[in-house]
Amino acid sequence: MQEVVSQAFVLLTYHSLAAWMRCRRYRIPDLRSTRAEFAALVLERRGPLLVCANHLTLIDSLIIQWALAPGWRLFVRPDWFFWNLPDKYNMSVNPFLRVLGYFGKCVLVHRKGPPEEARRALDKVAFLMARGQSVLVFPEGGRSRVGRVETTNFMYGVGRMLQETPTARVVCVFARGLGQREYSNFPRRGETFFVRMERLAPTTAFHGMRADRDLATQIVRHLSAMEQEYLENTILDR
Amino acid sequence: MDSTTAFGKVVSIIKPFVKNTAAFSAPTDGTRIVEDLGVNSARLVDIILAFEDEFGIEVDDESADRVRTLGDAVQMILRKTAPAH
Repeated sequence: MQEVVSQAFVLLTYHSLAAWMRCRRYRIPDLRSTRAEFAALVLERRGPLLVCANHLTLIDSLIIQWALAPGWRLFVRPDWFFWNLPDKYNMSVNPFLRVLGYFGKCVLVHRKGPPEEARRALDKVAFLMARGQSVLVFPEGGRSRVGRVETTNFMYGVGRMLQETPTARVVCVFARGLGQREYSNFPRRGETFFVRMERLAPTTAFHGMRADRDLATQIVRHLSAMEQEYLENTILDR
Repeated sequence: MDSTTAFGKVVSIIKPFVKNTAAFSAPTDGTRIVEDLGVNSARLVDIILAFEDEFGIEVDDESADRVRTLGDAVQMILRKTAPAH
């Protein structure tokens, strides 16, 4: 039901949020070429995508969705309108966020809840991906408290998702405001975002939880390598 | 293996992940791994995998989910290491 409703209202949701981001004067240089790059990466076939990104602010998923595809694309390609897995606590702060979570394709996860609850969320993700839907996840499991991709203390859920949907294609996205020093709720006003993406095909010889860990580690290390490249090549806007 | 030996090994495996060291000074069967010891729930997988390595067992998801206390961990290990009849 949520899938149908959110898809029906995708243009309204997308353009409302894009307008809000423009009001805050957020900017992605080369937006057109960023979107073309994403299309070239994934257009070859339909099917679920597992978009894995670094995480520093509460609106990273909005920035990434905005960066990777225009609203009309999400309308004609529902699999490009990613499901998100925000923390239930963050999305329950007020009724507006709850509605936004529903229309914005959110599967709420209680991060500090019992393992069964996390398992239920993962089952729902597997169900959605089996239907060809795509998911945007933050493999670190939360906003990085160290301001960099957290390579030592991260979650393994992304590995489980990949095991349950082995046909999913993994796209690693590194997105960061040029002025972003550490984690925050929102990027500063007028922020300019650096966005890069790469396909990754993680594999593992393990199974079960060990495979979850192995696959998640490969993805997080790849994000970390993309971050390292960003830090070496980008002149930070201080 | 007896439960005292298993308990000692469980405690030493969990020790590096414990944040609440005060609660860890007198661990009992009823000590809750996440709530009392402050172990990050994401690290539970690492702990379960360490049990697998240490005791030569395989732990499925359902068994892993049932491990809430040190006593649960010990009981699970004893069950899985018990000789088959």
